[in-house]
Amino acid sequence: MASDQFHEKLYKNFTTFFDKAEQERRWNPYRDVPWDRINPETPAFVATCAETFLGVESFLPDYIRKGLEVVRASSWAQRSFAANWGYEELKHSVALMEYLLRSGKRTQEQMFDFQAKLMTEEWRRPFDTARQMTIYGSFQEMATFVIYLRHEALAKQYNDDALAAVYRFNARDEIAHARFYEDIVKVYLEEDREGTLRDIAHVAKNFEMPGIGIVPDYDARIELMREHGHVDRDIFLQKVYFPVLKYLGVTRQELVEVARRERDERRASAAQ
Amino acid sequence: MDRPELLKTFQRMATEIAEKDFGHVTEEHVIADLGIDSLGMLELVGSMERELKIAVPDEQLVGIQTVRQLLDLVEKRTRASA
Repeated sequence: MASDQFHEKLYKNFTTFFDKAEQERRWNPYRDVPWDRINPETPAFVATCAETFLGVESFLPDYIRKGLEVVRASSWAQRSFAANWGYEELKHSVALMEYLLRSGKRTQEQMFDFQAKLMTEEWRRPFDTARQMTIYGSFQEMATFVIYLRHEALAKQYNDDALAAVYRFNARDEIAHARFYEDIVKVYLEEDREGTLRDIAHVAKNFEMPGIGIVPDYDARIELMREHGHVDRDIFLQKVYFPVLKYLGVTRQELVEVARRERDERRASAAQ
Repeated sequence: MDRPELLKTFQRMATEIAEKDFGHVTEEHVIADLGIDSLGMLELVGSMERELKIAVPDEQLVGIQTVRQLLDLVEKRTRASA
């Protein structure tokens, strides 16, 4: 059972986050993207990358439903965040789909077929508790932010200002989400450092981006995204893993220690 | 600690962490090919730092792909802390 201070801190975090979102981060995917500055010469692979982002973002119904399942009883702040998160993430897929349609890279029929194909699969929540999912959110949103920025640079390279703007808006939301999750993880660390460190080690060890196995042709698509967005494992360490740990005030050594303690406990228990 | 000993330390720690035998591993192996992902490698480095009483800065871990590269780094840090 979480303490009163836990709920008070989370309430304050959500209030700050939501106030800032309302004041500074609201945008309209139909009106705020410079749609008249789509470059018709943008290569097909750039559109395929946009479609891959769309594919991953399109599992929003699963993310919302299964994400809410673990946080609804955890705190008012977390379930409120989840509701707002769903609204903000929806705009990402709306903007990406608008780009693909308005650029003529895809037809409506192709988009509806793509969406129908996506929904034959279902996203599975990778972790079981609110704390683990919050940690997962910290890494996943930060990674998505980094990848969007890389692809914003790619869109600029091809003078596609509309697509660059879509990625920029999406990235701005993602970093705000990452910061919220990180701030909540900090509160978890204050409440129970050992348990939270164990969860961080567990999530890091089993981390996967959403979309694996559920977006059609995922491996080929991700290879394309990595190649052209210059995203690799080192970028994950440099731009996601180390910065998140630094923000949380957690060292690699602490994670090594908890992993070792956990291994020792598991072996001792197996030996009994 | 000489180089063969360092390799043995790597083999022992990788075996301990991944819970499978890495006794056959040579310096030529690519770490990812051994089934150790980048975060697994961090755990491995962390264990070596602890055992050898050294500290490897985060930024120096970026770009490490082979066992040889990792041992070069650990050896360098060991010398620096001696």
